[in-house]
Amino acid sequence: MNAKFPPIVVEAPLYAAHEKVYPREITGRYARMRTLSVWVLLGIFYLFPWLSWGGRQAVLFDLPARKFFIFGLVFWPQDFIFLTLLLIIAALSLFFFTAVGGRLWCGYACPQTVWTETFLWMERVTEGNRAARQKLDRAPWSMGKLARKSAKQVLWITAALWTGFTFVGFFTPIHLLSAEIAGASLGGWEMFWILFYGFATYGNAGYLREQVCKYMCPYARFQSAMFDRDTLVITYDTERGEPRGARKRGTDPRAAGKGDCIDCTWCVQVCPTGIDIRQGLQIDCIACAACIDACDTVMDKVGSPRGLIRYTTQHALDHEKTRLLRPRVIIYGALLALLITGFVVMLALRSPVSLDVIRDRNSLYRLTDDGNVDNVYTVRILNKTEHEHKFVVSARGASALSVLPAGREYSVPSGAVYSIPVRIRRATYDPQGPETITLELQSVDDPAVRVETKARFLAPSR
Amino acid sequence: MAPLSSSEIRRRAQLRRVVVVTCWSGFLAAALATMICFAFIDPRAFAEGRTPEWWTTRSHVYALGFFLFWLTGTAGAGLAWFLARPARRGLRR
Repeated sequence: MNAKFPPIVVEAPLYAAHEKVYPREITGRYARMRTLSVWVLLGIFYLFPWLSWGGRQAVLFDLPARKFFIFGLVFWPQDFIFLTLLLIIAALSLFFFTAVGGRLWCGYACPQTVWTETFLWMERVTEGNRAARQKLDRAPWSMGKLARKSAKQVLWITAALWTGFTFVGFFTPIHLLSAEIAGASLGGWEMFWILFYGFATYGNAGYLREQVCKYMCPYARFQSAMFDRDTLVITYDTERGEPRGARKRGTDPRAAGKGDCIDCTWCVQVCPTGIDIRQGLQIDCIACAACIDACDTVMDKVGSPRGLIRYTTQHALDHEKTRLLRPRVIIYGALLALLITGFVVMLALRSPVSLDVIRDRNSLYRLTDDGNVDNVYTVRILNKTEHEHKFVVSARGASALSVLPAGREYSVPSGAVYSIPVRIRRATYDPQGPETITLELQSVDDPAVRVETKARFLAPSR
Repeated sequence: MAPLSSSEIRRRAQLRRVVVVTCWSGFLAAALATMICFAFIDPRAFAEGRTPEWWTTRSHVYALGFFLFWLTGTAGAGLAWFLARPARRGLRR
């Protein structure tokens, strides 16, 4: 089916010298959607470290303590599987949404887009609109230019440092971090990471911008493999637009032998990656839909219907039916649903404590004088809850088992691992020979905190 | 300063891109290696003598380390190769 995809070829030198892009500001439906998305995502990023949950920071990736707090959940290194699953789910979601809606991620959610948008806004506030910025860059240095450029740098550097500070605040408690900064007692490593991340933000959002998407982003390279003729893409309707050309207001383009495109080049001017969408879909397009907003604005002005540039599919452009449900969408969707369900179920069933039982390697069993048999185990208790608990160990088998030392309570602090030697005793020949027994760890103070595990109990046969 | 020839401009742009892409791929591979490595190794366990049970012999750990670094090194090199190739213009046909 891909053989039918029309060749969309753009002649461009493989390695062209980089030319600065001056995106023109635009308002419209999609610009509003992106602004909303920027507010929500940056809001999450900048506010979350300040939220509290049960006396601690709500979202904290506490690397020194080797545990991650996400609201009510605590993750330990033993929960590595959850991180792995989460990454797989993220990747599959990307595939799914790309197959359905194209590069939605790039246009609305990617941190690169979100911060570039913010830095562009600061550039506009200090240096003016597109024409003013171009003029300012061409102009020789003057006091006015210096003032505008310095104001932009002050805003950029402040935003970058605040971003770096917030980022580190996800790993070091942010209240502590701000107190350290206020008291000028910031640790070397924290300082380093704040500057490092701040510099990365400054460079990526201020200067590299679309070059990150074009040259550094792996997703940009392989996303086209997820596209088909039913994927939503931003396209210029060549059939309707061509032949393009200027015309008088109010004249019917068809009567003048022209298409709807008036060749105003607004779509090119607003493009953050500096491409001309009218040359066809290109790998540099991050699907930000700025050209749609621009073209709709112009179409409204000249009195033509909107949608000369629009979200559509290749099938729709070819006057064929667009199918939403197709094998790849169904497969991605099913896998995604399966994995998310699995993740939620695993999370719900996750035991708050873990219990490992290791048999003593030195002896199989030991017969006592009073007709019993003893097995020795090392019991490892990991308390994954946020509180200290007192635990008792009990054992069940085919006949009565006793755990020695009897009735002992083990107090395990939050996050600690305790190894305890335990002896289990039963009557020698009841039942005959070895059996599989169940060990149970139960918190004395919270009935919900319990876990079971199986172990082998060795005994002689008659 | 004399203007650069177009081939010189292309050469420099290509060089810059290869340098950026190589550093960036190495960075991502290092992030991956750090994540995997320290999910299993607790640096403080060294000081406190609590080494994981699977550290039975040194040669096992060396072998595991080698394969981990090989894996992440290959991932980084592969990404660099993938990104340094010229982009296919347009979509798949």
